[in-house]
Amino acid sequence: MRHELNAIMRGAIGLAFGLMLVVGACCAEAETAAPLSAFGPPSATPSPFGAPSQAPSAFAPPRAAPLQASGPIGAIFSWVVDTQQTMQRELANGVKRLKTENAFAAAVGLAALSFLYGVVHAVGPGHGKTIISSYVVANEQTVRWGVIISFIAAALQALTAVALVGVLAIALNASGIAIKSWTLQLESVSYALIALVGLWLLTTQLLRIWRRWQDAGADPVVALPHADHDDHHHHDHHDHHAHDHDHLPGDDHYHHHHAEGEICHHVVDAQAVSGPMSWRKIMAVVFSVGVRPCSGAILVLVFALTQGLFWAGVAATFAMAFGTAITVAALATLALGSRELALKLGRGGGAWANAVWTTCALGGSALILLFGATLFAASLGPARPF
Amino acid sequence: MPEASFAHPHVWATVRSEIIFGPDHRITGVRQAWTFDEFYTAMAVQGLDTNGDGVFSKTELEPLAKVNVDSLKDFDYFTFVHLGDDDEHNFPLKPPVDYWLTYDKSVLTLHFTLPLETPVDPTQKEVQMDVYDPSFFVAFGFAKEDPVKLAGAPGKGCSATVKLPDPGSEEDAKALSEAFFSQLGPGSNFGSQFAQTAIVKCATN
Repeated sequence: MRHELNAIMRGAIGLAFGLMLVVGACCAEAETAAPLSAFGPPSATPSPFGAPSQAPSAFAPPRAAPLQASGPIGAIFSWVVDTQQTMQRELANGVKRLKTENAFAAAVGLAALSFLYGVVHAVGPGHGKTIISSYVVANEQTVRWGVIISFIAAALQALTAVALVGVLAIALNASGIAIKSWTLQLESVSYALIALVGLWLLTTQLLRIWRRWQDAGADPVVALPHADHDDHHHHDHHDHHAHDHDHLPGDDHYHHHHAEGEICHHVVDAQAVSGPMSWRKIMAVVFSVGVRPCSGAILVLVFALTQGLFWAGVAATFAMAFGTAITVAALATLALGSRELALKLGRGGGAWANAVWTTCALGGSALILLFGATLFAASLGPARPF
Repeated sequence: MPEASFAHPHVWATVRSEIIFGPDHRITGVRQAWTFDEFYTAMAVQGLDTNGDGVFSKTELEPLAKVNVDSLKDFDYFTFVHLGDDDEHNFPLKPPVDYWLTYDKSVLTLHFTLPLETPVDPTQKEVQMDVYDPSFFVAFGFAKEDPVKLAGAPGKGCSATVKLPDPGSEEDAKALSEAFFSQLGPGSNFGSQFAQTAIVKCATN
């Protein structure tokens, strides 16, 4: 089983690198194939998806005064907003450059820019940071899994965006209003699913605690969680095979490596609260986050489409997803590091470890539920004009 | 998109306003022209070139303009008119009397005229107009050139200026941190700290 997990893990990490290659390949394709692509040669014949040619006019788009907020904290916000706008403008220019300049350099530039945009954009809400971090902390997940879950969720968000724009804009020539409305509905669905996942996690964890209490009544020895290796016999309900210890360097247990087939039992009683690794739960988390298309990706895709360079938009979308995945994974890792730190502070004390695990398990799940419910409620508000 | 949770804007709009004066030299309303960024424009006009002639005509953009203006009502038209800096008491606005969209140089501009329910006298106290999105999904900024014009103003003594938030001010630090932590709630007012204000002053008499 551990073998299989390792294989799966290698596969998933391979997938992440594959994603990079795909991005590279897409960009290369944009470079070589774009002039011949069905979505429109740069200048020769007007593409059905290309920007409508307008009669020359004297109109010059007005430039706005710089956005700035008052006060010292405002300066930070202003910087974030300014960076966001600059990057968004640069992205638009990056797509346009594909048509005018050295296409290869332009494609590499666009991919790099999209990647950076993704890293920054993910700092804003909606990319699963809170959900994924809370999930890995609330459950017996490891850094590796946190990273993998972040990448799969980001890839799914990118796929949703590409599918949405591909089907609606290209296949159905639907209006921007329709695309927006679909985006909104998928967002609501995503938030509702997140709330349900939170509820599910919370319920299973409460049940597990309840069961522990009952066990404790029957056998007081189990009531005191211990971190030693001699307590295998008490928790047959626990799936030892599926959980995977991936201690950080510096962690107390880092030195301790298990041979194949050996069963690891650190703080198992306490950890049992949060439950073993579960594919079903991981899939639920990934799906609930991934069903919401990345808003930045949709903008780039539609913009690229109007420039007759849809595939450049697809490549940019995946480069962007790679960027958001890195931010989300970094935050999930940070969250896990905090948990490890909290555990370490107890110096192996069973009661302390128990408290940390219980807090993480219940707090993390409750946070997912609360977050999903809040966002879902907000998503039902009046439709935005723009 | 759901407004509650975005600490950064997704749409940029450059604001040009025209303050409309009535015959009695009171302000009767405001004409807005908001020019959007290229990304939003690409998204918004997608699929609207219905006759396929490569031009987005006023008629083709009409359904979009209607959607925009109809839903603006729920957001108070992002236009907040008040006396002095008393932004607790905004003058009520009536639904737009006219609205249309223009597409030029790959950007959309939304034009609409908002009447005030009751005309406002700018002579006793300056009249201020904030244009901003409290949830900060849309980032509004006044145009660098000709941000505010006066239409039908009494010949002498009226002027319009634009005031930007002061990055040097210290007073709002507490309000800002509150805004920062409340940005998740449905009543988010995160965008207010970026609000830019048009100030209309008229000499007394």
